[in-house]
Amino acid sequence: MSEVAISYWRMRARYYRLLGNKCSSCGSEYYPPVYICRRCGSESLVDFEMPNTGQIVTYTILREVMAGFEGQQPLVLGIIRLDNGVKIVGQIVDTPPEALQIGSKVKMVFRKIREEGEAGQIYYGYKFITL
Amino acid sequence: MGRVVVASVGYTKVGDHWDKSILDLAVEASKKALKPYPNIKPDVIIVGNMFSSKSSRQEHLGALLASALNLVGTPAFKVEAACAAGGVAFNIGYRMVRSGEAASALVVGVEKMRDLDTPEVSLALSMADSAEYTQFIGASFLALNAMLARLYQETYNVTRDELSAFPVIAHQNATTAEHAQFRKAISVEDVSRSPLVSDPLRLLDCAPIGDGAAAVLLTSDKLLDGEENRVEVLSSKISTNIFSVYEREDMLTFSATKDAASKAFSEAGVGVEDVDVLEIHDAFSVTAALSVEAMGFSKQGEGAKDAAAGVYSLKGRYPALTFGGLKGRGNPVGATGLYQIAELWLQLKGRGGLNQVEGCRIGVAQNIGGVDTTSVVTVLAKR
Repeated sequence: MSEVAISYWRMRARYYRLLGNKCSSCGSEYYPPVYICRRCGSESLVDFEMPNTGQIVTYTILREVMAGFEGQQPLVLGIIRLDNGVKIVGQIVDTPPEALQIGSKVKMVFRKIREEGEAGQIYYGYKFITL
Repeated sequence: MGRVVVASVGYTKVGDHWDKSILDLAVEASKKALKPYPNIKPDVIIVGNMFSSKSSRQEHLGALLASALNLVGTPAFKVEAACAAGGVAFNIGYRMVRSGEAASALVVGVEKMRDLDTPEVSLALSMADSAEYTQFIGASFLALNAMLARLYQETYNVTRDELSAFPVIAHQNATTAEHAQFRKAISVEDVSRSPLVSDPLRLLDCAPIGDGAAAVLLTSDKLLDGEENRVEVLSSKISTNIFSVYEREDMLTFSATKDAASKAFSEAGVGVEDVDVLEIHDAFSVTAALSVEAMGFSKQGEGAKDAAAGVYSLKGRYPALTFGGLKGRGNPVGATGLYQIAELWLQLKGRGGLNQVEGCRIGVAQNIGGVDTTSVVTVLAKR
């Protein structure tokens, strides 16, 4: 029995397409989406896809992973500033850790995040590769 | 509004309490805090805790503790604000006594961490940040702070040895603190040689996992008429920040701490320069540095450098982490904010033993949950 199957299903568009939102009044863009615009206070926000490229602001190589990620260590994680200025956190894959640099350009890819055993739920979402 | 006194404190040693449950720990600390005043029956019991549901499959800690203490009938409840649970619980108790709603309050922080293995503790701590956007992709609390540490070092040219200064101070002070988890001095070389856990953070940059409980008995000053040498609460303020650190435009300013400190200092009528002893939330070396900067003890980018220069050592200008802080004394998360208050109480009462800061009159505690997502700043004074 999966712990989080329903909450994961609810999030599929957020995870698969980087679907955040955008303020209809002032144009500010958000990921994660917000309920009230942080800039102008408007509650009129519409779903909006983030750009799929950006730059590394900071990163780490996590050697002690949390429950659910056993066997995946080390995990390379970064805070990415997307081309619209929105910052998000994600894994950086297919890049040797020594090649990572602040400022490196990255692109979003669709990948498996983790799975709950052989017969369990598989979770997919976004990761980043360097360009 | 009345004056509020920290009448007494009680705490367990921090560490591996394999033979004690979460309730055993909470009861032990509570009984110690209640013992000096057998005639005071608290009007309210407030428990600070972060993840008892995960560590012990137990919630409803308020009534559980009230019943165990034979205080049935007393209003009792749990307060949760991630690692700031203890500080927030203290703040609520203080407000209730100050307002006159309660003449006394027993505030207890407790956390049982060692019953869980390390990946499960890491998952529990990750609940301080967004489950949907941070935890989901595997970004643990350690990873978030590591990314912050890299940004801090890059932005302000902070060296490895400068970053190590806070953990070194913490461990030095813990060597003579009986309740500390790690009573062992470490050098900057020890920090640099310790294993990388999430670079640039190494094992000795990070507060350990431990069990513990700390309690304080708060009373209105009227209950303690005629008692000399009191520790009074001058102010306690809570503030919050944009939830996840990566959502903030300026990730290196702890604005919740800045806001809480500014309001707490203002209400207490004290300035930074009046502070004699300081307990900060050094969950990671970088957290300590950003905390002293946000409160105004160091300029932006200079917290770790000041620590390396001795400013925060026991004999320095602003003695900090005087019984080891989170790094040396230990960080049973929901209890941490109350260990800080108990330690300031020891200092202001002149009961600090080998860790005593001579002549101290004003003490400040800063307790945060998440990456400065919730911050509580409390000012205590000797009266």
